[in-house]
Amino acid sequence: MASAYYEFYRGSSIGMALTDSLDELITSGAITPQLAMKVLQQFDKSLADTMVKQVKTKTTLKGHLRTYRLCDDVWTFIIKNPVFKMESNEMISSPKIKIIACKNGDAIEAGKK
Amino acid sequence: MSFALPARQITFGRTNVQQQPYQYQQQQQPSHTGLALPGGATLQQQPATNSLSLPGPSPLSNSYTQPQAKQQTPPTAASQKPTNGTDSSANAVAGPSTPPAPTIPATPAPLTLEQQHITAVEGIVPTLQNIVATVNLDCRLDLKTIALHARNAEYNPKRFAAVIMRIRDPKTTALIFASGKMVVTGAKSEDDSRLASRKYARIVQKLGFDAKFSEFKIQNIVGSCDVKFPIRLEGLAYSHGQFSSYEPELFPGLIYRMIKPKVVLLIFVSGKIVLTGAKVREEIYTAFNTIYTVLCEFRKP
Repeated sequence: MASAYYEFYRGSSIGMALTDSLDELITSGAITPQLAMKVLQQFDKSLADTMVKQVKTKTTLKGHLRTYRLCDDVWTFIIKNPVFKMESNEMISSPKIKIIACKNGDAIEAGKK
Repeated sequence: MSFALPARQITFGRTNVQQQPYQYQQQQQPSHTGLALPGGATLQQQPATNSLSLPGPSPLSNSYTQPQAKQQTPPTAASQKPTNGTDSSANAVAGPSTPPAPTIPATPAPLTLEQQHITAVEGIVPTLQNIVATVNLDCRLDLKTIALHARNAEYNPKRFAAVIMRIRDPKTTALIFASGKMVVTGAKSEDDSRLASRKYARIVQKLGFDAKFSEFKIQNIVGSCDVKFPIRLEGLAYSHGQFSSYEPELFPGLIYRMIKPKVVLLIFVSGKIVLTGAKVREEIYTAFNTIYTVLCEFRKP
């Protein structure tokens, strides 16, 4: 069920790096585009699963919610002046952030039932 | 039940005491210009009659009470005029539970026109807490487009078949349905409710729908206030059994279903009152004035 995973991690720096490498391999003729697609789909799945199962780091954030949206099970939050408090008690602030929150693979499957 | 009669008269006597706050209200009104101030009439009800400083029947303000009032006026008004000297603190103490005597109607005595126009009993004016209104945008809507493009919108068709949208000013929430019907809740005044509804209609318009602003109607008004003395709910439930439902094991408040005006009141031991079910602001005020005289009788010693 590769299609059950969102593709937005491809836009992250690690995803971009993978896409660039795959492009290079395709142009040099080392792999076929079909194989590259398969790799990317596996990447979507692996990263989503890893984020759920293995990333235990937490952060709390405080700020003013300017805008929110829920559509197609995706929440979007735009937060003004957020302050992140990391586990190491480090504080990070920013004028504005956008949070996009999706269900992970399991939850999508559960939602369909 | 000779005792009951004076008690009744005393409650009437209150109106004389109340005349002053009322006149004060009336004089204030012209400056309100329909804003959210308590006691201010709605925009539509503002016209010229407001300049009258004497409480009188104005054909424009609450027409719904007129017929009832006309029937009841003669007897009550007559019994009212002579009782001048009773002061309000005395009547508050005077109310040891008077079980309904045959001479006394089980309902709170029908109010005279003058009483109905009073919006401040003992300086207490119910505060409007919520207004629910409906609007027909008169146009089919694609909710997903709205949810995707509007801000502060939620759309989860699995849970609820409407877009839930909020705006910050006036702080309200709207439910927007695919049929083009819309429910706007949370406003604290009629004008805010209308303004918010217009804003929502405008948002939908801006997303490319041919939305109109039609059939705006206020469906419910909720008010609340505090009479600032504890109330014997059992006594009230007993003597006004026809209107009351008091089940402390289910809900700590007494539910009082007033017939005229058709308003439901939640009355709590603490003296806090919630009034709901009104379609116009005046119904809340009339209901409060009506119940206040009753509550004084059931004041906890």
